[in-house]
Amino acid sequence: MSVPTISRAPERVAAPPELPDLLPPIRIRRGLIGFLRRYPTIAVGGALLLLLILIAVFAPLLWTVDPTALSPARRTRPPSAQFWFGTDMLGRDIYSRVIYGARISLTVGFCVAILASVVGLVIGLASGFVRWADGLIMRMMDGLMSIPPILLAVALMALTRASVGNVVMAITMAEIPRVSRLVRGVVLSLREQLYVEAAVAAGTRTPMIILRHILPNTLAPMTVQATYICASAMIVEAILSFIGAGTPPTTPSWGNIMAEGRALWQVKPFIVFFPAAFLSITVLAVNLLGDGLRDALDPRLTKRP
Amino acid sequence: MFGYVVRRIAATIPVMALVALFVFSLLYIAPGDPAAVIAGDQATPADVERIRLSLGLDRPFLIRFGEWFWHILHGDLGTSIFTNLPVTAMIAQRIEPTLSLMAITLVFAVLIAVPAGVLASWKAGSFVDRAIMGFAVVGFSMPVFVVGYLLAYCFALQLAWLPVQGYTPLSAGVRPWFENLILPAVALGCVYIALIARTTRAAMLEVLQQDYIRAARAKGMGEAAILFIHALKNASVPVATVIGIGVALLIGGAVVTESVFAIPGLGRLTVDAILRRDYPVIQGVVLLFSCIYVLLNLVIDLLYTVLDPRIRY
Repeated sequence: MSVPTISRAPERVAAPPELPDLLPPIRIRRGLIGFLRRYPTIAVGGALLLLLILIAVFAPLLWTVDPTALSPARRTRPPSAQFWFGTDMLGRDIYSRVIYGARISLTVGFCVAILASVVGLVIGLASGFVRWADGLIMRMMDGLMSIPPILLAVALMALTRASVGNVVMAITMAEIPRVSRLVRGVVLSLREQLYVEAAVAAGTRTPMIILRHILPNTLAPMTVQATYICASAMIVEAILSFIGAGTPPTTPSWGNIMAEGRALWQVKPFIVFFPAAFLSITVLAVNLLGDGLRDALDPRLTKRP
Repeated sequence: MFGYVVRRIAATIPVMALVALFVFSLLYIAPGDPAAVIAGDQATPADVERIRLSLGLDRPFLIRFGEWFWHILHGDLGTSIFTNLPVTAMIAQRIEPTLSLMAITLVFAVLIAVPAGVLASWKAGSFVDRAIMGFAVVGFSMPVFVVGYLLAYCFALQLAWLPVQGYTPLSAGVRPWFENLILPAVALGCVYIALIARTTRAAMLEVLQQDYIRAARAKGMGEAAILFIHALKNASVPVATVIGIGVALLIGGAVVTESVFAIPGLGRLTVDAILRRDYPVIQGVVLLFSCIYVLLNLVIDLLYTVLDPRIRY
């Protein structure tokens, strides 16, 4: 990627001296189309994600039937014109279940991303600004990070009743340390900057410094981090449901559909296939979006060949 | 140097203690009454009371934690609520398949991912680079059980090259042991390979721009020697770090992979324990895996000085 150049003003117009391009502008000025062409992964990932959100929102209108309606007479039918993705062991329509399952995955992904970002931001800011608490908070985060995230979520789910809310809580808990470390790193490096020192010297109160100088700078790395958290939360939700520690079995989620198809996968692979494909595509879309956002927002990477 | 090693090892002790504290306090911070949840919906009040007593929830937190921690230091992880067997014995029975799976995955993932990352950085911007990085994004997005089912369907069910499921202990021969673990290891390794390859590429790109690489080229050194001796050695610290951090992914993935491939390891133990709400077993497995994770990262930390002699403490 080339270093963006600042277009020069005409000769006689007094122009301010060019600023060193520490933060090359995200060229939204070229228009949305130009931006999307510059970052094709954002375009592809964003479009796919938008499509999946629309599918989740308009699930009842997409020729679905009640995803929990049992009909023992037509169990494990292969995909056909009537049952697009076939039926499962209890005769439920897999197409409807998969379409409704998008709601669970996306809800969990977005909720975890937002919650973990907010809580991680608060902890990170506290750690970066309150000197005496820094050591304590970071040792706590080290401890929490030493527990593999899926196992932490499994342990929490074993102690609570299965519900979407509890799944969100369990995954969020495992993701918080990463965000707070990120925010703390940004805070510590910004505190060294002259303009922050100047603001402190001028008597600006800490809340104002956070609002004016710290928050805008955490926004870019946190957005990127949040997309990755969203992707990983969707995978963890599916894994938890798959091993029976996630959303309640009555709720159609992709992990649950696959868990039900597990016993029959050698003879009826389609039960597992469709939710698996939807899950992979959704996670891929979010990851593509994250990669694109990282390229667009991280000034250090734009200078790489 | 020796002082550093001692200090670094000493520094892991509080981390381990914190992990133990966290795992233990989950019983207390989880919303609702864990005894009632563990006992299940059909439990009588007497059952709930029995579980409350066996988990020690009737006594104060600190006293209970002290006792529990003291037992752990003596190698006692408690007793299963369901089978009444010691948790350590249950873990010992199941540990071989899991460690085999993780070791094979680790070795083969590093052997594939590092050269792939080096190749991608050498041919940066080319078709090969894009192909490898494209694979990395896809590999990162495919959940481990999806890859597992896909591989098992293609190579075991359709082509019948490898066994579909199950596990043969190492004592029954290396070949059947290895054959049973190939597909699970590939499935489990996907995410890990993607992670390591991406990091290797980024670290190598940084190094390949340095003057000493140009100097090595100028003196007529072969490309392979430049890449693997000069460049990779200098890029090895971030790569080693991500190999260590990525083990968390391996551990989480192993639980699922074992379910897909019916491997009777710690993952199966965990899944069975979840279905029976056997919290002491889950606690023991989480603690054990966290210890493995912390110790592995300690070893990698100590390796830094070997990998990069400029690092001196």
